[in-house]
Amino acid sequence: MPRISFCGSADHAVNRRAFLGSAAAGGVSLAADMTAINALAAPAVNGALKNNQKRVILLWLAGGASQLETWDPKPGASTGGPFRAIPTDVPGLHISELMPKMASRMKTTCVIRGLNTKNGDHGSGAQLMMRGRRDEAGLKYPDMGAVIAREMGLLESKVPDYVAFYTQTEGRGFAPGDSGFLGARYAPMELTTNNVPEFVRKLDGISELDHEERAGLRTLLSKEFARGRSSETLSSQNEAYQRVRGIMASEKLFDISQESQKVRDRYGPTQFAEQVLIARRLVEAGVPFVRVARAWWDSHGQNFETHQEMVPELDHIMATLLDDLAERGLADDVMVLTLAEFGRTPGINASLGRDHFASAWSMTISGCGIKGGSVYGKTDAKGNKVTHEEVDAGTLLATIYAALGINPHKNYYLGARPLPLVNPGIDAIQAVLK
Amino acid sequence: MLRLRLFAALVLSACMAEPAAAEDIPQPREPIALVIDRHIAAAIATAEVIPATQADDATLIRRLTLDLVGRIPTTAEVESYVNSTDPDKRGKLVDRLINSPGYARHQATLFEVMFNPAGDRRGGNAALRQYLADAVQENKSWDRVFREMLLPDQSDTKLKGAAEFLRARVADADKMTIDVSVAFFGVNVSCAQCHHHPNVEEWTQDHFYGMKAFLARTFDNGGFLGERGYGTVKFKPTKGPERVAKMMFFTGTTVDTGATSAEPNADMVKKEKEVLDKAKAGKTPPPLPGFSARTQLVEVALRDANADYFAKNIVNRMWHRYFGSGLVNPLDQLHSENPASHPELLESLARDLAQNRYDLKRLTRGLVMSQAYSRSSKYDSTSLPDSRLFAVAQLKPMTPQQLATSLKIAATDPATLTGKPEEVEKKLEQLESAARGFANLIAQPTDNFQVGVGEALLFSNGDRVFKDFLTENSGTTLARAKAMKEPRQAVEFLVRTALGRSPTDDETTALLAYVEKRSGREAEAYRQVLWALITSPEFRFSY
Amino acid sequence: MDTGNHHLQSVREHMAAPKPDSLKLIKDLQRPVIQFSVARIPDSDAIYLGCSDFKVYSANLGATKFEPRELYEHESYVTGVTLAGLNLVSGSYDGKLKWCAIETGQVIRTVDAHAKWIRDVLASPDGKLVASVADDMVCRVWNAITGELVHELRGHKETTPHNFTSMLYALTFSPDGKLLATGDKVGHVVVWDVQSGKQLGAVEAPVMYTWDKVQRLHSIGGVRSVAFSPDSKSLAVGGMGKVGNIDHLEGKARVEVYDWQSGNRIAEFPGDKFAGLVNRLAWAPDGSWLVGAGGAGEGFLLFFDVANKKTLRQEKLPMHVHDFEISDDAREILCAGHNRITIHRLS
Repeated sequence: MPRISFCGSADHAVNRRAFLGSAAAGGVSLAADMTAINALAAPAVNGALKNNQKRVILLWLAGGASQLETWDPKPGASTGGPFRAIPTDVPGLHISELMPKMASRMKTTCVIRGLNTKNGDHGSGAQLMMRGRRDEAGLKYPDMGAVIAREMGLLESKVPDYVAFYTQTEGRGFAPGDSGFLGARYAPMELTTNNVPEFVRKLDGISELDHEERAGLRTLLSKEFARGRSSETLSSQNEAYQRVRGIMASEKLFDISQESQKVRDRYGPTQFAEQVLIARRLVEAGVPFVRVARAWWDSHGQNFETHQEMVPELDHIMATLLDDLAERGLADDVMVLTLAEFGRTPGINASLGRDHFASAWSMTISGCGIKGGSVYGKTDAKGNKVTHEEVDAGTLLATIYAALGINPHKNYYLGARPLPLVNPGIDAIQAVLK
Repeated sequence: MLRLRLFAALVLSACMAEPAAAEDIPQPREPIALVIDRHIAAAIATAEVIPATQADDATLIRRLTLDLVGRIPTTAEVESYVNSTDPDKRGKLVDRLINSPGYARHQATLFEVMFNPAGDRRGGNAALRQYLADAVQENKSWDRVFREMLLPDQSDTKLKGAAEFLRARVADADKMTIDVSVAFFGVNVSCAQCHHHPNVEEWTQDHFYGMKAFLARTFDNGGFLGERGYGTVKFKPTKGPERVAKMMFFTGTTVDTGATSAEPNADMVKKEKEVLDKAKAGKTPPPLPGFSARTQLVEVALRDANADYFAKNIVNRMWHRYFGSGLVNPLDQLHSENPASHPELLESLARDLAQNRYDLKRLTRGLVMSQAYSRSSKYDSTSLPDSRLFAVAQLKPMTPQQLATSLKIAATDPATLTGKPEEVEKKLEQLESAARGFANLIAQPTDNFQVGVGEALLFSNGDRVFKDFLTENSGTTLARAKAMKEPRQAVEFLVRTALGRSPTDDETTALLAYVEKRSGREAEAYRQVLWALITSPEFRFSY
Repeated sequence: MDTGNHHLQSVREHMAAPKPDSLKLIKDLQRPVIQFSVARIPDSDAIYLGCSDFKVYSANLGATKFEPRELYEHESYVTGVTLAGLNLVSGSYDGKLKWCAIETGQVIRTVDAHAKWIRDVLASPDGKLVASVADDMVCRVWNAITGELVHELRGHKETTPHNFTSMLYALTFSPDGKLLATGDKVGHVVVWDVQSGKQLGAVEAPVMYTWDKVQRLHSIGGVRSVAFSPDSKSLAVGGMGKVGNIDHLEGKARVEVYDWQSGNRIAEFPGDKFAGLVNRLAWAPDGSWLVGAGGAGEGFLLFFDVANKKTLRQEKLPMHVHDFEISDDAREILCAGHNRITIHRLS
């Protein structure tokens, strides 16, 4: 046989479980590879290995929120727009007056102001920001949701490990959650039309007991077939059916009527508020990654009216979420991100709109191992260019992973080919890590 | 002549895998299946592993029926095959399937996915699929399909669908370049778009833009594919000033574009516009220009040693279709630094195909008649042989349409699927067509495919599964089971209908216990038993 | 929006208005700033501009070189300038009203008028009152001389039916100064009695508000302009029709006319030529036509015959118009907007 190369590895087909494992040594390797633990069937070990389980809520500002009307205001500049900047609880840090609630909570949060991601296209920009890099020919990278699901997912978890809300139709198809080469096991459970996942409730025509025993019968029939057969795809099918009952049991997590009216009122009555509250319920139950997409910020016309409408909602919900997490003792365990595919042009067009802009924009990271109150990156007086501490998509993901305690240089393997979580040569921003 | 040229190319080419020694190359009249088995057996022997036994008859007819016509066999088909004592029953079965209308439909569906792997459902694909179905039906040679898709005769309504592959990509010449290269030559040069290929030294930006130069003049003219007689592709190399790309095939063969690379003068553009506008107004296809870059691509791709890519790609893809993985994997990495598992076999099959007018039916018959194809997927040892030896058959997850049609068949009372062959064929086609909607809910398998929890939830709780496959309406499997007096008879019937075999003793015991526990509501129990059968891996996979 | 020259209103009513088909562009001045508001001293070339650079300028239209002179600054976009007697009053997104003496150019008073962004400021026809509207959803009426608060008019909801913050964009006085009308984001228009501060009536123009629940989950639009007919019986309401893609100002420029006392709509001009917002509306002195101006990427002037429900003229303008000023005899229309100022003449 010819020498094994990355494309033609025999390992490839035999057991992807193994080659997707970590390259790091010993216990870390096991800890990272949940499926390997699964194979060893050692749940007791699991608890010890995963005692530091972090979770992430990504507030995805689809369509591209304006950095100038949120995290990087330029009051008085010709590009600045009408809104003022207000001081925050972090000395020297000002944000848009549209965010008074976050202004008193910036000690929890790191602002990355120097994003230069060079892609002003909705679809590929969103893919870039979710994956930290472009796909290669024949190689689809997992997005951060899938990576974090895989790194932080619990072995015997009853809950899904990557949940993605995207209810608005605009832009939904541009960049769905994608587990890339990690496969369907880490693909997101996508909620689009409803806040409760599809097919999570049993049909009326079958009793609870029959539903369970029917699944047992299926398992029994599968066992004989699996004897003498080993295939990753085969295991994935059995694993998928084994997760069904657990995921059905998690239906209540999606039901906000389980929360007191007081809590619901606190988040507010909007769809975004309800979904963020569900996200909080999910992470509390151990779901590693929840993306709540809030579309659609693409304010080519009436940028200021759009942001006047949407930013206060974001401000309120984000502040409420951070408070709620802190009160529940989860501030160090749950990271909250605000991110979009790009920001908006400093230039104001004739429709009083701002257009797509990826050269100098902002995002935020709150919680876990991030240094609250830190600001990284600086843009020029009009917001046209990054002047200090420029950050690209890969560096951002490296920083997020590092703040969660995941080594961004850790490798997955496709055959013999090592695939680090971020491209080689890219490092986390140490200055914003605790 | 072609054979000689190809052979010479193989010996000379450093691009592809190691050349085969002359004595290894089988005689052209040797059956393909035998060539395959000799090469596969040799590698297995070298690796010192014991291959899996041959699959039993019930397994083989299931595999062949799924692979060739895209559905599970009916119980009548299974019984007749298993009970037949004809020594050539396998050959006859293959001939029957391969010449049935279901073959053209199923293969066309697979080819369509091959051409549009991203599931791109932009308009025109129904037309493309129809074209492909006709092409398979007529057993058009693969080089003819290539010609018709790249140089479609759009005035022939029957061939118009062939244009859709390119027409769907006219807005993005990069994508067109990549997709044409991947589909017809097994070469993905997209890395070379921005820089020299990281893994393949001989592929540079010149290769990517060289291929693009053949296709960049193609555009849409009022719903028809058109081509300009001029136009250049410029690119900024990683080093040095901007360059004009030469029309160049992967092998480095260039085409002299003559005067056509010059910027067109206003008069030319005006004349061309008149012709194009006239075609648009008359709803007719625009004429090809005097110098057609696409025509050049077709010529150069099939000329001499260059044809190696074309032949090997389709052989590799057909191998992948029937064996579950390619001789070269991934399918779009056919290059020197990613050698085939059986380089000589790939050479032989490619050569044989080229010599035999790229007859895919002939190749297909050879593949599925081989002993390598009919091995069992079961291997009772902890150390499984390297999958690249093809010593054990691989499990293949069903495609959406295979699964949906098969579910329909399993849900249909087998008594209604017997009788005159034409009538059964018609009934099966109706079931296939009724299954299309459900097929849209199922994920298209890829290499290293994983079944997601979404599918398990759909089958566990989806109303659609219940309504499409688990009712007791007349003519259904469940209606028949319900009418049976004895639970034992019913569960045996259900297993045979869904899985094409009798239950084992253990299974009968377990299933009977399940039904007896639901005494008084047997119909519900049967429905649950059928559910467990159709969601089992034995149903989900071609094994 | 207006110059306080409404004392001439009674004169205007008796003059025959010039015909819209005689409209001609006579001046097109470029200036790289967004002019949100304009006021003009009657029968003169002296104008005042409120701009996106936060500044208020005075300028002379008759000068050989058009060179606006900075008067003073706000802390945000200046969205309203109006002449009240001998003072210029300006309002801004900074929530402040500033009084400036025309003669000296000095700011004589600054009032923290609103907790949120001021959208428009207007003096009453007799110049004795100044009204302001802002996104705190309150219309405040001020003594133009002393700067004292006269009324707080509350009749617009702070949130939209979809639980987002609402906006209060438009206001106008009736020609006799007895009525005031205010219009908000969701299409709710209130008519007030200036004397008592009481609500006299309300009109609903919901088509002006597009809420996109499915695709983009936010809104666009709003009532951007209101204008009473010379007899004060009819109220014209301007904005934009329903929008498909709310990323853009792509709804059709829209004007509706109401009998405000009954709340019935008496005319509807849904627009067929231009997309964008109708930011300003005014009636011809004799009521024979109604003119609207506004825009999106570019702008327009629209003339309507309300009585006969006919569109008289639709003129393309080179810029999105944010404000206009019409001379007493309705023969000159001064438009201010995105990077440009134009003057049109009617004969």
